[in-house]
Amino acid sequence: MTPMTINWIGLWTIIRRDTSRILRVPIQVFVAPWISALMFIFIFGFVVGPRIATIGGHRYLEFVLPGILMMNIINAAFLQSSSQIYFQRFLRYIEEALVAPLSYVEMIAGSLSVVIVRCVATALGILVIAALFGVTSIYNLPEFLFWVVVVATIFGLLGIIVALWAKNFEQLSVLNVFFITPLTFIGGVFNTASMLPPWLRWMAYGNPFFYFVNGLRHSMIGFSDASETLGVTVSLAMCAILGVTVWRLFFIGYGLRE
Amino acid sequence: MTPALSISNLRKVYRRGTVAVDGLSMTIAPGDFFGFLGPNGAGKSTTIHCVTGIATPTSGTIEIFGVDAVKDYREARRLIGLSPQEFNVDPFATARQIVEWMGGYFGMHAAERKRRADELLERFDLTVHQKKPFRELSGGLKRRVILARALIHDPKLLILDEPTAGVDVELRRDLWRYLQELNRDGTTILLTSHYLEEVERLCRTIAIINAGKIVKHGPKADFMSAGLEAAYLTATGAEPDHIAGAA
Repeated sequence: MTPMTINWIGLWTIIRRDTSRILRVPIQVFVAPWISALMFIFIFGFVVGPRIATIGGHRYLEFVLPGILMMNIINAAFLQSSSQIYFQRFLRYIEEALVAPLSYVEMIAGSLSVVIVRCVATALGILVIAALFGVTSIYNLPEFLFWVVVVATIFGLLGIIVALWAKNFEQLSVLNVFFITPLTFIGGVFNTASMLPPWLRWMAYGNPFFYFVNGLRHSMIGFSDASETLGVTVSLAMCAILGVTVWRLFFIGYGLRE
Repeated sequence: MTPALSISNLRKVYRRGTVAVDGLSMTIAPGDFFGFLGPNGAGKSTTIHCVTGIATPTSGTIEIFGVDAVKDYREARRLIGLSPQEFNVDPFATARQIVEWMGGYFGMHAAERKRRADELLERFDLTVHQKKPFRELSGGLKRRVILARALIHDPKLLILDEPTAGVDVELRRDLWRYLQELNRDGTTILLTSHYLEEVERLCRTIAIINAGKIVKHGPKADFMSAGLEAAYLTATGAEPDHIAGAA
């Protein structure tokens, strides 16, 4: 067998190709989440926020902004990879990559790179909007970047799995509707775990989304409601498990090859 | 001499149990122009998909110029160019993007990619259409883009799955000339087609597949005594020997 070398040009081509596709639909990809975030910031900053007491010494808008950011990162990551791979399967142009000398790792890394680009661009736009309301702060930049990249990777990988499994557009939205959106909303976006009745707190502590929001919140305003070490461990474990799963699915050709 | 393509006992069973290819073995000599014939559903495209990596073989071995197409798939892919039967492209991408991106997947540097894309777009009269999205092109132009894409990395083995289906006579003739030039320059070509005239004109070796098995294989001369159509109909069992011969 020929020794494995990385096909850097092939990898870069996947990134260029997928980036060119998201740039074809900028309103859907970037403007929609920015406007959605603007509405959340406006409502929580000027309508609801002033009536809520500070949390850990932070205004409610400061508290809720990391959650809004995390919701949009999760959505952007999942939608990017799931729609990208599903459309490639649906229109069969995934075959362009299958007949080329690209390794499975290169195909996956190419898709995830664009997921991260989209998430970072979405996050930056929301931070700029929040800055207009005077609430953008980064308490720990490396930690902030860690959470953006790790969460984008987790949901990018989940999106790939769903895209390989889905047989139609209806199935493509199943995970988002029944798991991602509900778990995000009960994952501490709008409240601390201590605001929940004691018998319901398991919904926060047993929910991995809670640790993502908590981690990002800590990186932005220094407020934490749970163990960050546990959050980092859970996130990296999810990355590893999902990464191996996706590689395995590519290896056996699940949803890709006949 | 190492064959351009060597398939041994290839079997492909789909998940629902359909046996598409059943113990198929064949070799294609380097430099050959090989016609691969068979009725719809006989297993032609499945065989091609197993060779190119679009399908996973259930069992058997495939070697491209001696390189195992499964174990050393990346090296094997570099040697093959595929023009598939169906348009498997991003319909919103432009003709140039489709051709150049494929060059990128094959690891070609930007300058080399551009030079080769310019050459192929010019050769297939696509230069004026290069910035148009694929979905806006006519059927004939789409077919040319697919061919240019298959040729971008200058493959040693070119696989053409019904390349002239739905194209006009002028393009078909032009394509025939081009394929003959390519073959003269050393490219091995595997062609599937339902146009027997095309196969008769271009190919030196022919194999006929039916129900997943090779039922006849040999030099073109072996098929020509009663005419290719009669040989084809007899081999596929569509018509008994004496009727096919008399037609």
